[in-house]
Amino acid sequence: MKRLGPVSLFVNPRQRQFEALTRAHAGDLYRFAYWLCGQDALSQDLVQETLLRAWKSLDALREAESAKPWLLAILRREHARIHERKPLDTVELDEGIAEESAWASPERHGDAAELREAMSKLPHKYREPLLLQVLGGMSCEEIAVELGQQPGAVMTQLFRARQKLKSILQGDRPEVQHGLS
Amino acid sequence: MDCLEFRRRLGAEPQSRDPALLVHRRDCPACAAAWERAQAFEHELQAALDVPVPKGLVERVLLAQATGERQLQYRRRHRFGYALAASLLLALGMGGYALHQRDAGSLPALAVAHMPFEIGSLDLVRPISARAIAAGFADRGIRLRGPLPAGVTYVHDCPVGPYKTVHLVSRIDDMPVAVLYVPGKRVPQARDFQRGGWHGRIVPLQRGTLVMLTDRQGARPFDRVAQGWRLAIDGSGAARVTDRPVQASGLLAP
Repeated sequence: MKRLGPVSLFVNPRQRQFEALTRAHAGDLYRFAYWLCGQDALSQDLVQETLLRAWKSLDALREAESAKPWLLAILRREHARIHERKPLDTVELDEGIAEESAWASPERHGDAAELREAMSKLPHKYREPLLLQVLGGMSCEEIAVELGQQPGAVMTQLFRARQKLKSILQGDRPEVQHGLS
Repeated sequence: MDCLEFRRRLGAEPQSRDPALLVHRRDCPACAAAWERAQAFEHELQAALDVPVPKGLVERVLLAQATGERQLQYRRRHRFGYALAASLLLALGMGGYALHQRDAGSLPALAVAHMPFEIGSLDLVRPISARAIAAGFADRGIRLRGPLPAGVTYVHDCPVGPYKTVHLVSRIDDMPVAVLYVPGKRVPQARDFQRGGWHGRIVPLQRGTLVMLTDRQGARPFDRVAQGWRLAIDGSGAARVTDRPVQASGLLAP
């Protein structure tokens, strides 16, 4: 077995930056990954792979404000790469967290549970920009850049994503796209 | 901004704080109510998406990163070690080669390398004439200054490496000793050597160097041979050779 030397007490600035980055964004990355793929274990793997890739190219990160979009972009690429390697099994989104005590607390029941189920039914083309906006805090313009689309098209997708969610919650009634609800 | 545009913007960007949006919300009660509903929905959506993060996720990521990094450093150190070892080996090899090259150019090495071409000369037993010996030295532009030693059985002008030498054989008590006189070559001190089955001694003279060699076993009369040729080449004013065993510090007495 290889013997490694003692861990140094000195932590260089790059290492400190990485630790801060991980502590600040691992949670949101996990949530984004979870809603993207629907699997807890795969989501954790995606978070780890994303952050390890970020470590290798940490010098490319110039501003703290751009850290989250940068990490989300890496995670999206990792997720796409996994999809290229093998198609993922379809898993119900809330299957893996149904028994989480924190999640199953009384105040979490009701609308949130229905909304999660509705999210799981939301088509990927609507779900991804919505996640980038709600979890990633990205603007339409930023999402458009990330997805390689026009800002107007992204706005339409975001509008339809919410309409679709409401439609599912209301029992799959016909979607009202531009009406005044 | 009209109500339709407000609702479109609200549906796409409910968190927007665009002034035009806020003005219309202030002026239109129906849209203000829609804005309130949208904010409530966004709140529910945030809560729904806020799935619990597995415990220890951050620590596992940091552990994986730190472990990978240390493994990388370990491999880098090993690569550096191998490179250093290879450099040392190369340096040692080059040093050894340089030493070998330097040694190969030394007088003892050149003399020993010359002997196979003249090996038969050691078997000659009949003394040659003083005239022949003097002629051998004269061919190298050397005039002998003293009496010649007895028992000289061979003389020839031989190239030894870069040096033009006078090759002689002195036979004393039936022991043949090859003698190479290298005019113009000075060595700092006398010393014995042994290489390739040959025993030898190198002795500085006034204007050159004497190299004596023999491949025979038994008492080697290097002192007497050197004394005889020193007297012949340098003359009677030259230093005398003692019979003491030869040390690295030399054997010449004042």
